[in-house]
Amino acid sequence: MKSKSIEDIIALSNDLRWQIGDDFHDNLAEGIYADAAEIVSTTVKTKDADRKFRLDARIDKILTSKLWGFPLMFLILALVLWVTIVGANYPSAMLSSLLLDTVHPALKGFASNIGLPWWLDGFLIDGVYLAVAWVVAVMLPPMAIFFPLFTLLEDFGYLPRVAFNLDHLFKLSGAHGKQALTMSMGFGCNAAGVVATRIIDSPRERLIAIITNNFSLCNGRWPTQILIATIFIGAIVSPSMAGIASLSAVIGIAVLGIFFMFLVSWALSKTVLKGEVSTFNLELPPYRPPRFWKTIYTSLIDRTIIVLWRAIVFAAPAGAVIWLISNIYLGDESIASWMIHSLDGFGFLLGLNGVILVAYIVAIPANEIVIPTILMLTVLVSGIPGGEGAGVMFELDSVNATGQILRSGGWTLLTAVNLMLFSLLHNPCSTTIYTIYKETKSLKWTTVATVLPIVMGFVVTFLVAQIWRLYA
Amino acid sequence: MSTYNPINALLLFFAILIMAFFVFRPSKGWLWLILNSTKTNDKIVVEDILKLLYHNENADKHLNTNDIVRTIKNNERLIIENINKMVLHELITVEGDVVKLTKSGSDYALRIVRAHRLWEKFLAEKTGFKEAEWHALAEQKEHELSAAETEQLASRLGNPQFDPHGDPIPTQTGKIAKIKGTPISELEVNTIGRIIHIKDKPDVIYRQILAENIHIGSLIRIVEKTPERIVFHSEGEAFVLAPIVAGNITVTVLEKDMTFEDDLARLSNLKEGETAKIIGISKEIRGDSRRRLLDLGFVKGADVRIDLINPLGEPKAFLIKGTSIALRNNQASKILIKKE
Repeated sequence: MKSKSIEDIIALSNDLRWQIGDDFHDNLAEGIYADAAEIVSTTVKTKDADRKFRLDARIDKILTSKLWGFPLMFLILALVLWVTIVGANYPSAMLSSLLLDTVHPALKGFASNIGLPWWLDGFLIDGVYLAVAWVVAVMLPPMAIFFPLFTLLEDFGYLPRVAFNLDHLFKLSGAHGKQALTMSMGFGCNAAGVVATRIIDSPRERLIAIITNNFSLCNGRWPTQILIATIFIGAIVSPSMAGIASLSAVIGIAVLGIFFMFLVSWALSKTVLKGEVSTFNLELPPYRPPRFWKTIYTSLIDRTIIVLWRAIVFAAPAGAVIWLISNIYLGDESIASWMIHSLDGFGFLLGLNGVILVAYIVAIPANEIVIPTILMLTVLVSGIPGGEGAGVMFELDSVNATGQILRSGGWTLLTAVNLMLFSLLHNPCSTTIYTIYKETKSLKWTTVATVLPIVMGFVVTFLVAQIWRLYA
Repeated sequence: MSTYNPINALLLFFAILIMAFFVFRPSKGWLWLILNSTKTNDKIVVEDILKLLYHNENADKHLNTNDIVRTIKNNERLIIENINKMVLHELITVEGDVVKLTKSGSDYALRIVRAHRLWEKFLAEKTGFKEAEWHALAEQKEHELSAAETEQLASRLGNPQFDPHGDPIPTQTGKIAKIKGTPISELEVNTIGRIIHIKDKPDVIYRQILAENIHIGSLIRIVEKTPERIVFHSEGEAFVLAPIVAGNITVTVLEKDMTFEDDLARLSNLKEGETAKIIGISKEIRGDSRRRLLDLGFVKGADVRIDLINPLGEPKAFLIKGTSIALRNNQASKILIKKE
């Protein structure tokens, strides 16, 4: 009897559910929202909201106008990048003269005074210390300039307008307008760009933004691009045009990166990310004066220090590896030169060489140490005079001297162009890879984000090399 | 490197590329063909036959073996073998030429239909697949869901009554809600109705309806009816359809004295400088998107006007409750407003 009555109740509830219909939950929720809105409108009074809004509207009219919207946007971004790259030179030079030219010899002297064996001294000071010092010297200043500037723009309320202006372009490639922000952030640092994708609340568009962030040329790669362009691209035109030619080459690479970002976003949204949930809405907050000191403080702590710390954690073992492969011998050849020789063939196919490939393998923690590693390895295998010794990364103050070392290492214009392409299209640095894993919690997407750009890099440099050789 | 020359390298590269294309290309790639051929085909064939018979018997049509072989795209021998097997298992009976479902056969068919429509509902609510893709995906998934998985899915979706096309989902006990509606093509001029069902087959017509941006839940009023075309107004826009297309849209007719408000419009049609009140969000916006819009203040009765127009035309920023929110056109077209 009792069990029958329970069945009756269940049947009744099912019946009722059918009578109410599917809309029931929606109607209830919407009713509550509407009621809440009504209560607010009768009880909450706002003062002079109107006046404030008029000023906002006037700024918005200019920032999103057909005439001024885009030029202003490019101008501001270019200005931020210029201030970062130029402004970072001075503190970088100071840091490197302190950490690399003063502390490093002092440590070496101290080590020989207390009679440390040469291998321990090399491993710790030439390997670990030098890599960490290098990363700090070249990475810290640009980040300490770029992030606060960027955060100030964000705090002021300008960045959401950029997302608003550009959304249509991103929509065409299946992405979210806010990806414009994470992309720009990537110009500072890809790891920070990946963290910044948290502002995208749609899961699919967020994944796209994470995977394609690496196509933004980051602070660690700008100096490489500028150096190589100055040495090789600047040399093929008349000296008066050299500056403009090498600058356009670097900008061309950055624009190419944006193009690849759109292309890959589009391809991802059409294939592997087809079924992920996609939503769009963008709040345009009112403008407000940025809280200057608070912004400086949080951007230094939240972005700069965390990223720098991760980079150091990865740079230390890499420094050790760089020193070890140059100093451990298998037979009569060091591991480094054995790796270089076995990768030379593949490197040749790509229009690069074994040195570059090995440098990209061991310098995975930070793009900043790619050039010093390349110089050290070039000297190591070619036996050119110069450098600081096996496994000790170095850089030269003179651009011409750097060019001489690279040219005697067999570099041509093709090598330079393909290095610039490969520097744009290769796996993210280990800090970024780790950050992608932390953000997606997915081995699959981390692998995609890592492997995809390097495969593209192989294909692009390969094609460029073959076509170049056909015509040259 | 003695054999190296750039042309050979390029040729080799493109040869590998073409190979990879044939192996991995979507749906027709060799890799997928190999993977699919290892799956058992019998279950799929049996279930497809049951579903075909079920839908036809519902429309009071009876099929013979030839009809089945013609409609189901599969190996002929395989289909005949399976029809014989199904007779043995008492899922169907063959009387003379006509194939009929038995009670247990029709129960089985209902279970497949239930799985299919539940999965469409799932795709609509919880994933980002487009409307046009739902049917094909559900056609595959219905064969993979076990009975327990189907029930889990149903309770996760809150035991829905209708699938996103407006088709009723059979309950676990086999109960089906009835659709009381009339195809638009059979309505007289000036009838007012609400769209309750859009057929997802055939694909060509369904895509046409989707392209017109017509959705379930909209109020419509028939304005013109000729053998060539049917014109109706809905949400501030005029739609012109061929009768064959209109026949695939079902509406419930509403009482004659109900006023059809011609000033009802979609938010996407709001012009700069106009103000409007929000009437509601279409059923087509589901799941997370819907909740997000409600959170942002797009609720019944809220005032809305255009705040900013994008230099590229899309998205537009709407001023709602003192905040500026940018929406893309495909979302704004699913929010109903009444202009003031």
